[in-house]
Amino acid sequence: MYKITIDVGGTFTDAMVLDESGGIRQFKSPTTYPDPSVGFMNALELAAAAHGRDLPALVADVDVLIHGTTLATNALIDGSGAKVGMLTTRNFRDVLEIRRGHKNVGTSMYDVFQPPYKPLVPRARRLEVAERVLHDGSVLQPLVEEEVRAAAARLADDGVEAVAICFLHAYANPAHERRAAELAREVLGPECYIVTSAEILPMWREWERFSTTVLSAYLGPVVQRYLTRMSRRLAEAGFGGSLLMMLSDGLVGTLDYCAAHAVQMVRSGPAAAPAAALEAGAPAGCRDLLSIDMGGTSLDVCVIAAGEVPMTRESWVEQERVATKLVDVHSVGAGGGSVAWLDSLGLLRVGPRSAGSTPGPACYGKGGTEPTVTDADLLLGYLPVDTPLGGQIALRLDRAVAAVETVAGPLGMGVDEAAQAIFTTVNAFMADQITEVSTRRGYDVRDFTLVAGGGMGPLHGPFIAQRLGVDTVLVPASAGTYSAFGMLAMDVGRTYVRTHVTRVSELDLAAVQRLYDEMEAEARAAFGEVEVVLARTADVRYVGQFSEVEIEIPGGVLTAADLQLAVDRFHSRHLELFTFSMPWKGVELLTLSLRATAPRDRALAAVGRAGGGDALKGTRACWFDGDRVHADVYDGARLPAATAFAGPAIVEEAGTTMVVPPGFTCTADRTGGYVLRNTRAGEPLVAAGAERGDRS
Amino acid sequence: MRRIDAVTLSTVWHAFQSTAREMRHVVDRTAQSYLLAQMHDMAAGIWDARSRTIAVPEGPTSMFLSQKFAVRTVLEKFGDDLHPGDVILTNDPYSGHCNHLPDWGFIKPIFHDGELLFVALTRGHQMDTGGSFPGGYFPNGYDIHAEGLIIPPTRIVDRGVERTDVLELCWANVRFPEGVRIDNAALIAGLNICETRLLAIVEKYGRDVVLDCVDEMLERTERVVREQIAALPDGTYYGESATDDDGTVLDEQVWVRCEATVQGDQLTLDFSRSDAQRKGFVNCVYASTYSRAVAGSFLFFDPALTEFHNEGSMACVDVIAPPGTVCNAQYPATVGGSPVNVGTQVLEATVAALSQADPDRAIAAWGRRRGHYISGTDPRTGERYVQTTTDADGGAGAVSGHDGFEGAAGFSGLGSILRGSIEEVEIRFPWRHVKFQFATDMAGAGRWRGGSGMEWEVENVGSEASVATGSSDGDTTHPPGAAGGADGPLSEMYVIANGERTQLKTHRMHFIAPGEILGKVSGGGGGVGDPHERDAAAVLDDVIGGYVSVAAARGTYGVAIDPETLTIDEAATAALRGSGG
Repeated sequence: MYKITIDVGGTFTDAMVLDESGGIRQFKSPTTYPDPSVGFMNALELAAAAHGRDLPALVADVDVLIHGTTLATNALIDGSGAKVGMLTTRNFRDVLEIRRGHKNVGTSMYDVFQPPYKPLVPRARRLEVAERVLHDGSVLQPLVEEEVRAAAARLADDGVEAVAICFLHAYANPAHERRAAELAREVLGPECYIVTSAEILPMWREWERFSTTVLSAYLGPVVQRYLTRMSRRLAEAGFGGSLLMMLSDGLVGTLDYCAAHAVQMVRSGPAAAPAAALEAGAPAGCRDLLSIDMGGTSLDVCVIAAGEVPMTRESWVEQERVATKLVDVHSVGAGGGSVAWLDSLGLLRVGPRSAGSTPGPACYGKGGTEPTVTDADLLLGYLPVDTPLGGQIALRLDRAVAAVETVAGPLGMGVDEAAQAIFTTVNAFMADQITEVSTRRGYDVRDFTLVAGGGMGPLHGPFIAQRLGVDTVLVPASAGTYSAFGMLAMDVGRTYVRTHVTRVSELDLAAVQRLYDEMEAEARAAFGEVEVVLARTADVRYVGQFSEVEIEIPGGVLTAADLQLAVDRFHSRHLELFTFSMPWKGVELLTLSLRATAPRDRALAAVGRAGGGDALKGTRACWFDGDRVHADVYDGARLPAATAFAGPAIVEEAGTTMVVPPGFTCTADRTGGYVLRNTRAGEPLVAAGAERGDRS
Repeated sequence: MRRIDAVTLSTVWHAFQSTAREMRHVVDRTAQSYLLAQMHDMAAGIWDARSRTIAVPEGPTSMFLSQKFAVRTVLEKFGDDLHPGDVILTNDPYSGHCNHLPDWGFIKPIFHDGELLFVALTRGHQMDTGGSFPGGYFPNGYDIHAEGLIIPPTRIVDRGVERTDVLELCWANVRFPEGVRIDNAALIAGLNICETRLLAIVEKYGRDVVLDCVDEMLERTERVVREQIAALPDGTYYGESATDDDGTVLDEQVWVRCEATVQGDQLTLDFSRSDAQRKGFVNCVYASTYSRAVAGSFLFFDPALTEFHNEGSMACVDVIAPPGTVCNAQYPATVGGSPVNVGTQVLEATVAALSQADPDRAIAAWGRRRGHYISGTDPRTGERYVQTTTDADGGAGAVSGHDGFEGAAGFSGLGSILRGSIEEVEIRFPWRHVKFQFATDMAGAGRWRGGSGMEWEVENVGSEASVATGSSDGDTTHPPGAAGGADGPLSEMYVIANGERTQLKTHRMHFIAPGEILGKVSGGGGGVGDPHERDAAAVLDDVIGGYVSVAAARGTYGVAIDPETLTIDEAATAALRGSGG
């Protein structure tokens, strides 16, 4: 039997096939629009052919298929989500649009010439009903059912495809929302997609909860239609195994769960990256990892400390707040297609605008004229002029030269020097972003190992590591299909939350126990026979604070000693994160979480290395920090395990190109990946920068 | 000076910016006061040893652009007696260039190899700073001593050792010492993070390179800002704005007047014609006026510069405010209300003046602050509390090309200040929300209209509470519109007791009994451009959404809409708008 993962990205659909011996093979096929399920099946066809079978023969032999997709994100970006109506507490229908006053998201407050935020549900479709629940769950105003029916009828007339039911304090008592959902269902019929805020996110803070719920409603019908189409295609091809979706919380879930919690699809692909990084770090025993996934338009950064995947409840997805727990992947506008330009200060900047895949970088020869990172990479000799990139496009040097000249002139530089400046600028920018992401969490990047994934990651990764002072870079065998690889390494699971605000000094152990028990019962029911691992946490803060720190809570029957231990952990974590703690101050507990996972069934062995033949293809002239040197060029597929060589060198792989800069050594490991070490680690970078400055 | 290559320069520049952001982030995550953690009423930044501004993250405009004055004062006062590990505290508007007493500023000199290279500052509004009433925005103090504890620049950490006795003296003079102690720790944590990061940058690139980068950053920014000013037509432009009264002499408006003169590549913002210093608490010290005026000018420069402003930008802008005016109050004038008024008026007058210099980048003022400080006892815990909010403030002003942001609060924060969470407030304070929504026809009309005002009501479910309305404004005075757009509408405030509605005024103390409801209807932002030029389809959308009434669509915008079918009567609209118009 096989296990297959398929990651549908913006440009490519990646597939990986794991066989029973633990062997892995990877495949790439273009993503298809408007129906990505076509590309999905194409990727499977490729896999079947490579295994010497027809599609039904392969598919019949697949027991688990895990799927990630950018579908939800794309629907949000191009505005193709559902027409949503909202039922909400009377006198509070504008919570969604006020969005707590957040104005500039991703722009500066001094930039006032920005269009105002338009919520996913316009005001005329935010209908009010009489009801009011208080923070302790008590009912101040009972739900007036007639008003729900009337409002639902108005939404039906308006032709909504989805309804978000969002009442104040519903996390404390979801009865009104549930009843309203039943009534709305009666009026709007089975076709309408209906969600309540307490089922999507039973957590306090109304705007965060409503925003997440509305986004779920907006994406729900799109996700549902896609999943239906996808599972039908698979069934037609003879698939009888289980199909699981990659969720934004770093777990995989069933189609039913996913259809009902569509917001969980917003980071479906990137959420798999940490699992890929952990898998890549495992052989070397590295658990402090900086995962980067650099593609055409963006760099996804994830900081994994002590093997722990970071999570956040404060994500912006485009202009929407998502407060369900998501894998904390920070997306930076820097990729191969990022455009280089000069700002009014005369500074060279790269990105965030990208040439995308159409027209793409100038060297693609598809009409692009602006200089991009890929053009700089080509001019510096890192990418091959002769061999087409990723089996798709032959790169044109003349176009890259013409494009880079547009910034070289104003900078008073030659073309090669300008290419170096673009390359260095984008690397410095990425390094700064990585530092900011990690220091926000209180970590020193130099204690970490960089894992470089994505089509462009293995090329830029070693240079970024150099800037960061990180001395080891891991390039996984499946760097080019990084997320799909992560999905192979993924646990099946689900997260549960309950808000329960109480001071620790007044905490009712039985009440907390009851909430954990409740969540655990839900988890057991959801997983059936499968054995699950349960992990409890609680959000804790000092009385009066506004932000929480998540702390582990022991399993089983809670004791006062367990609680004390958790409080002690909170104090030391606070000290670690923020440079101080306040043991003299009272502590309060806010939201309880449970993460239930069923460990994956099978170990990943290796892509393996075929070896054999002559791996050294020749040499290429490359620029490194202003020096032109000849670098050996290797065919990665032919490198036998344990081969070690020193930079400068280029390794060409199926989905990516890796650069080993001077001063680095590279070892091809037995899994098909590489370990790069900077033998000059610790030398200050500024020497190079200052020298260049003096010369110019 | 050695020339720095462009890549090193932008790397170092970015590192300063991200350090300043991180300082703010640390305070955000650890503070316990609503003002700091939720409303972000705080500042953080980095200056050099000559007190030149290197980097300031986003935050309320009143807070940081003038903090070079505070840094300079500390450097002068302590001279050679500053050491690694020291932290200086001041909240004094007169000797420490703070806005008002609740803003406590913590200043840390940063040394490298025994040499002072940088100065870090974090400053934030404390939940209490003593004085007659909690919170800081109470009107009618006798003089600044009535407004609370005054802390001249004072060393509170000596070479890494906390001077606990000095701090205890400060904490003994505030009402919520435990809370203030936490927030002090949060602000000092921001400084410590800054020191760690800056020393790492110096280690990595070397002292000389980093200092050369700073020079280059300032020079480049100044050059570009000068180009931007030179692009504006030379001339003098006038803007004005008023606050309802000064809280002591009641019902008499106080005016701020700004003459903005563009001459070549220099901009002068002159507030000489503003009213004289007042008895009441609306007075701004010079630093306060300077911050707002300079921040206002930044809005008219290339948005690509927004993250890069520094001392170079400030070199291009002169701010004139003669001593004795309400824009440069002298000791012992009260200043408690100045961050809201007349601080907001300084910003409004500046923006109103500059909007005339460049009508394609006209900017209307935002809805006025409708804040309060409520204090009482929470019967659930028996503890005293102070509650404040931006929830009732109207939305943003329009700009050329765009309507104002709905929901954004507070012009002087430019959107960096957040509103609260209804659920969080109800868990924390004995107040229950009755209403929180947009008010119809409460935005300044225009081709681009302002963000809407709010309807907001809360019921007192605790003890009798005092309500200081010093951080409210706009009952009798408007936030100005621009380029022919309407001003933001007037606001009102009321209490409902036993079904009876009584008007409350701004800049007063009120008392609200249990079971009574405090309500506010606020005016939104001003409009930009002639309302008759507004796209009729946009007016129809506003009517369908309930932001604008059918009557106002007709009367104000000249768009006739059938209230039954919600469609535009084209012929009637053409007639209303003077046909072809």
